Amino acid sequence: MAEWGRTTLEMIVDELRQPVQLDESFERRVMVRVRRLYAERRPRRGRGWLTVAATIAHRPAWAAALAAGIVAIATAGVLRARATGQVVASTSVEPVDFVLVAPNAESVAVVGDFNNWGVGNKALAATNHGGVWSVTATLSAGVHRYAFVVNGKQWVADPTKPRSTGEDFGMPSSALVVEDSTK
Amino acid sequence: MESSDAELVTRVLHGEVNAYGALVSRYRDRYARYAVHMLGNREDAEEALQDAFTRAYRSLARCEEPERFGAWLFRILVNRCRTSGARRVRRGQTFVHDEGALLNASEEHPAEQTMWREEIERAVGELSADQREAFLLKYVEDLGYDEMSEITGVGVSALKMRVMRACDRLRILLKEVHSG
Repeated sequence: MAEWGRTTLEMIVDELRQPVQLDESFERRVMVRVRRLYAERRPRRGRGWLTVAATIAHRPAWAAALAAGIVAIATAGVLRARATGQVVASTSVEPVDFVLVAPNAESVAVVGDFNNWGVGNKALAATNHGGVWSVTATLSAGVHRYAFVVNGKQWVADPTKPRSTGEDFGMPSSALVVEDSTK
Repeated sequence: MESSDAELVTRVLHGEVNAYGALVSRYRDRYARYAVHMLGNREDAEEALQDAFTRAYRSLARCEEPERFGAWLFRILVNRCRTSGARRVRRGQTFVHDEGALLNASEEHPAEQTMWREEIERAVGELSADQREAFLLKYVEDLGYDEMSEITGVGVSALKMRVMRACDRLRILLKEVHSG
């Protein structure tokens, strides 16, 4: 026990105290969530800090989806894209949040096989929250292909999701699996 | 000069949201260590830590001692880890190793060191959640029993018992490795 007492315990503790370094995107991912909360809170500032607490709290899959990460895309401007497949308790039609961090964009929309790739003005217009653009769509369970369209012309695939094998119109697109929460 | 926690909290509460990034940067790696050891894998740990940072931001106005933001955040994280651990148990998952850390270790350390680390990770993972929590808080986070009691809401006597049992259990689990 004496041998165990300090020496081994110290060795265990030394190992467990080794630093754990997170992926560099961790801070950005947290700040995307924080800025989104900030943007949602601003119009209701008079109601205090807790008014948006339910926005994310009722979405249990949100954190896991965010863990997919954010990847910077070097194009005309600096863009960071992420799409989240978010499943809540419902039928086989599931809400999915699409989020794009694009501080310099003037408009952002989401197109995909679920809205005929935006043909006939069916593109989903995202709302700007201080540079964080987001829109929620309800999609049927299964595999969907999609892309962001920035400023009405620049197609941006989601780098955190698999690229679509049959990229429509020769433009970049990503694949998203929407799970059926009823199964 | 580096801003204090209290200064950063004040700036965030006055609308300077980017100041929160400095707090995230300051605490992310240290607290990630606790979450990884407590939950046993990096994915769950990152999720719990992200959740803790987000919850702390939402409730920042309720942080009564901004100069102790780190301690307050840590309490939130400990609770998130408890919730995450309980959820994992309900899902029937077993403790898994932090494969990323082991992979890194294998690149940086000799094989024996990697094996020793692996044995420790495995042994810590086999502790009950209560014992693991108490052991990590006491020895890895280097907290006193009063602080541990404040964070966990568990009495000092019970915490001492958990730490003692954790040490006993680790001694048994690591006996072969240690004697070898």
